[in-house]
Amino acid sequence: MKRATMATLAAATTLALPAAADTVDIGILLPFSGVYASLGNEIEAGFALGLETYGNDLDVEIILHREDTEVTPATGLARTRKLILQDDVDAIVGIVSSGVLGAVRDLVDGAGVPLIVANAGNDAATGEDCSPWITRVSFSNGQVNRPMGRWMAEQGIETVYTLAPDYAAGRQMIEGFAGAFTEAGGTILGSDFTPFQQTQDFGPYIAQAQASGADALFVFYAGGEAISFVNQYASFGAAEDLPLYGSGFLTSQLYVNAQGASAEGVITALHYVPTLDNPENAAFVAAFAAANGRLPSEYAVQGYDAARALTEALATGARDRETLGAALRQVSFTGPRGALAIDPATNNIVQPIYVYETVTGPEGMTQEVLAALPAEADPVNGCVMPSLPTN
Amino acid sequence: MTQDLSFWTLQTLNALQLSMLLFLLSIGLTVIFGLMHFVNLAHGALYALGAYIAATLAGTAGFWAAILLAPLGVALVGVVLYGGLIRRMRKSGPMAQVLVTFGLIFALLDLTRILWGDLALAMSMPAVLSGQVDLLGVSYPAYRLFIIVLGAAIFAALALVLARTQIGAMIRAGVDNDAMAACLGINVERLFFVVFCVGCALAGLAGAVAAPLLSVTPGMGLQILIPTLIVIVIGGLGSLKGAIAGSLIYGFVQTFGAVLAPQLASVLIYALLAAVLVIKPVGLFPAKG
Amino acid sequence: MFRHTPLRHAVLAILALAALMQAFTAGYFGLEILIEILILCMLVLALDLVAGFGGMVSLCHGALMGVGAYAFAALATLAGLDPWLAALAAVALTAAVAWVIGAICARSHGIYFIMATLAFGQMAYSYVFESPLFGGDDGMGGIDRFDLTAIGIDLNDSRTFALFCLAVLGAVYLFATAILRSGLGRSLTGVMHNEKRMKALGLNTWRIKADVFGLSGIIAGIAGVLAAQHIMFISPGLLNWTVSGEALVVVILGGLGTLVGPLVGAVAFVVMKHQLGEVTTYWHLVVGIVLIAVVMSRANGIFGWAEARWGARLDRRLADATRSPTPEEVTSDA
Repeated sequence: MKRATMATLAAATTLALPAAADTVDIGILLPFSGVYASLGNEIEAGFALGLETYGNDLDVEIILHREDTEVTPATGLARTRKLILQDDVDAIVGIVSSGVLGAVRDLVDGAGVPLIVANAGNDAATGEDCSPWITRVSFSNGQVNRPMGRWMAEQGIETVYTLAPDYAAGRQMIEGFAGAFTEAGGTILGSDFTPFQQTQDFGPYIAQAQASGADALFVFYAGGEAISFVNQYASFGAAEDLPLYGSGFLTSQLYVNAQGASAEGVITALHYVPTLDNPENAAFVAAFAAANGRLPSEYAVQGYDAARALTEALATGARDRETLGAALRQVSFTGPRGALAIDPATNNIVQPIYVYETVTGPEGMTQEVLAALPAEADPVNGCVMPSLPTN
Repeated sequence: MTQDLSFWTLQTLNALQLSMLLFLLSIGLTVIFGLMHFVNLAHGALYALGAYIAATLAGTAGFWAAILLAPLGVALVGVVLYGGLIRRMRKSGPMAQVLVTFGLIFALLDLTRILWGDLALAMSMPAVLSGQVDLLGVSYPAYRLFIIVLGAAIFAALALVLARTQIGAMIRAGVDNDAMAACLGINVERLFFVVFCVGCALAGLAGAVAAPLLSVTPGMGLQILIPTLIVIVIGGLGSLKGAIAGSLIYGFVQTFGAVLAPQLASVLIYALLAAVLVIKPVGLFPAKG
Repeated sequence: MFRHTPLRHAVLAILALAALMQAFTAGYFGLEILIEILILCMLVLALDLVAGFGGMVSLCHGALMGVGAYAFAALATLAGLDPWLAALAAVALTAAVAWVIGAICARSHGIYFIMATLAFGQMAYSYVFESPLFGGDDGMGGIDRFDLTAIGIDLNDSRTFALFCLAVLGAVYLFATAILRSGLGRSLTGVMHNEKRMKALGLNTWRIKADVFGLSGIIAGIAGVLAAQHIMFISPGLLNWTVSGEALVVVILGGLGTLVGPLVGAVAFVVMKHQLGEVTTYWHLVVGIVLIAVVMSRANGIFGWAEARWGARLDRRLADATRSPTPEEVTSDA
């Protein structure tokens, strides 16, 4: 039984030279500085726990090469080149921002290096830009929001105003929601896209939404913007006239306690909340809390499941880029999120979506799951999946 | 888009609230510049520090204690900075001073990350300010009104101090001509010290009152720095009038730009800044012609 | 006015030799770092030209580099222009943009000049960030390097590309010194030291400033084209003011107004960033402390310090050895 080792760059390069039969080199490509540093740390914590849980029984030594993308596409691409050309990794795990994913897509596809996407939700990555080498175990922007559009229409909500930051992910989240919502008979009364990472005062937009007279407000924000938004929304006291719904990242476990009582009653949809009631999740939550002193968020579970997917692929005997790439596409397992599988048509994960309300619990804010919406594969969206070259 | 009277009232209040927050930040920066001729780029970092101290204290000591203690804490940091760095840099050129404070931005940013982590913090507002107030036919968050009132009160107090008191007269003399002021027997060094600390305290106060409104993140100091610099440059350096005028212009352009011309929102304010500098290269109300 | 002292020659020779050695011996990542340094060198040369010799401390040079990179990428990939033609047009466009910014800002001084350039830089940043044509926040990919296969050079090889960048940097350095030695460069230094006197002498000072700013834009544009080709991907972050801020830090760290110093600064900065980045994610803290220490030391950066300490002595010894007439005053000719 060999232990998965965390190796620094210096150690890793010396270790990696003679590719002994049973070692694999895995690149970890996450932001450890910049605006998404907290997400990078959360995913890495989940990934480390996943390797510890599932990686120990494998007869293979996993050598990790850790690289910081700094949330900059150019840096992410440069680091990916380094991982592929210098460290000669067998697979890469990570990527938080869609911009970085878009930047490295052609490189990993051309070089034939399996990439397990542990966050970035860009629809195109498993749509028109899909690649047999890119497997996503996190989510796609549309996937998280489409079921919510239908669900909200079913609840009798007729008109909605939407808000999101003005960048690709923000637009895709709203598109996914709005498409399903209008299809189910709803009407979008208005949409604003706020300048990304430059807007700190959402007051003007909230006032605009209130004036629209819509039944509900649907928003996507993440990170610091999510905290500001929820706090500012609460201070306007709009909850009665204009209840807040959103993409579940808005009230992620990662910062729901920073939002505090402001998040009370906000209804959102996501692929994971730590209060899911199943044995896999109970074990995961307990182990994560023991290791990190806090409850896991969706980012942590994405890291955890990325490690799970990797170890499942290794368990089939896959050891190099080709075999790992092929094995990753076949992976399916039941984890904290429920039953997961990879859609062979797009290489995107197929998973259930949970509608949840943020409520006050005995120890701070917690999530009450209102509905579990069944898993459905993303539409193919122009993905023509070439088969992996055999040999 | 119902653009009736209540819409204008509401957005005007939003603009005022943003203006006042920026005013608290820019007044310290601009008076420090007027007196000492250097732009303290680390002013934004002090604002972030104020927010972090307040968010940390609020959990145990409550909101009001936090909002009182955070400026004091930041002023204390200001004392250390002044004694350790700024005073020694007094004789160096403005370029060197700008760069030292640039280095401070880097250092303070990472120090807040080390001390408080990458996760965003938040601070809850006191119950008495968490509701809404009916005002001029609109229901407006009490906390935002509090910021407007606080900003206006500090503006009034500073105007009074500068215009009517002896120390105000000394500051005005120092801004006008510090060498002459020193000749007249004013202890310029001590004046610098006091003004620097008050400026730091006001930055800390701005951070503390902003904390419940915005999220407290390591990058918040850098985020607010550019708007603050724009405010003081549009207004003209060194004057109270410039700081308040610049803040109001920024607040209104930003707020109404966001709702009336969302496509232009982020370019608008920079275009305005460029336009002001082309027409009046030293801003609207500089302390010295 | 700019003059090459023996110390400057010696440092240039050492830098060039070190770069050549690195280019021929380094592994993949070493080459990446080398190319990053070479491109940063061009940017800081452009900045030193205006800031060190014209007193125009610019916070828009990162944005100018970004304009060059985006113009090249858009012309080469979106419009399908020949890469050489696209590069030429991109550099010309950057120079024109820089000239206009320089002309508008020339009337402002000190902090107002800094803020005015910042405003233009941030305008460009905001525009690119929100423009769907250029991919917005996600950036643009699929950028090709120059095709030199006709003469047997494959720039897609990192080593070759590093050598190519080194050659371009050499040309850029000569270009910068040529500007400073020209009448325009001499007038510029005169404007920096006493603008009123130069005006009284009948010089059109804003025109001088704008022209030099435009020429500096050529260098920034070249850096941008190479940056785009190096990563083969560009994103709006390239135009953000923090890039300009870092370039300014590099110039100061190395030695403002020495041309050689900023090159030393670029090497020190990138190496420090990568070495520290491997140890800790808090490398900004160390850079900040180093920056404060350098400025507090009153020296004009690393190179300025070396010049003040050894420059005169070395020059004297060299002068004795060669018995050639030596300039009286060798330091701080900025």
